[in-house]
Amino acid sequence: MIPAFRAATTNTARALEIVRMVLIFLVLGGLIGYALELYIIGHWLPTFESQIPFYVTVPGVLFSAWVFFDRRTPWVRVGFIVTMWLMVLTGVLGAYYHWVWNMEDAGGVNWAFMPAMEEFHGFRPVLAALAYTNMGITGLVCVYRAR
Amino acid sequence: MIDRWMNAQTADERTLAFLQNFFLLIAAVGFVFYGVEHWVIDHYMDSWQSRIPFYVSLVGAPLAVAMFFTTRKWLTIPFTAWMAVSVLTGIVGALMHLWWNAGDLGVSLFTFTGFIESMQVPYRPVLAGLAHTHVGAVGLVVGLTAWVKN
Repeated sequence: MIPAFRAATTNTARALEIVRMVLIFLVLGGLIGYALELYIIGHWLPTFESQIPFYVTVPGVLFSAWVFFDRRTPWVRVGFIVTMWLMVLTGVLGAYYHWVWNMEDAGGVNWAFMPAMEEFHGFRPVLAALAYTNMGITGLVCVYRAR
Repeated sequence: MIDRWMNAQTADERTLAFLQNFFLLIAAVGFVFYGVEHWVIDHYMDSWQSRIPFYVSLVGAPLAVAMFFTTRKWLTIPFTAWMAVSVLTGIVGALMHLWWNAGDLGVSLFTFTGFIESMQVPYRPVLAGLAHTHVGAVGLVVGLTAWVKN
């Protein structure tokens, strides 16, 4: 992002790189912030599933920081894109897990509309997990046509 | 913004317009969603502070939607200013949540354990307030680059 910004010769190209940098910076800040928050609220439990957001954070922070300086190296680009897709998946999977576990705590999985909606507002926040999906999509959109 | 995309002449203009439209959509959906969510979770209470995020969403959503159809000065300037307000709302909201959590628990925010305990209160999530900062920042980027040419 930074080399492309410095090499930009038009206002449009400069603005494009500024938009990309600001939004990747938001992703980077989000990844670090959410990991800290999840740790503080005790999301790191003995189950593998509860630790997934922390594992995704490691390559997420690494590649998000890296693409500021180099997005042309193929393995960096592929690593970043794969990580962003993993984040998209993490968010969707997390929302699903939260929802199903809320139902299990309430006596069993039941996808009928009313009971499912009841557990949508359960102890584990279903939509909160989608923050990872949001960050992943943002990252993917930022490298769209970024050559 | 839609016009900018339709009338883009170069690859860079098209890509920039695509990003602007995409993030404008995130901002618009964010304001609608958070507005509804704040109402649903009963964030609209007797205290005026609790109503701030709702009002920010109420104004932000139509401004963001309108930006799809025109980027004239009369709209872009209020839109951009309101996005800055939204950024500030999120930061102040997070700090207020933290402050009130500490008050409820009777702990000091200036001690490590007090700070951590205040962050862990489930019914008043501290970082959730920053959702408005996120939506506002995304919109701000769109507003500040809305007139870029050449």
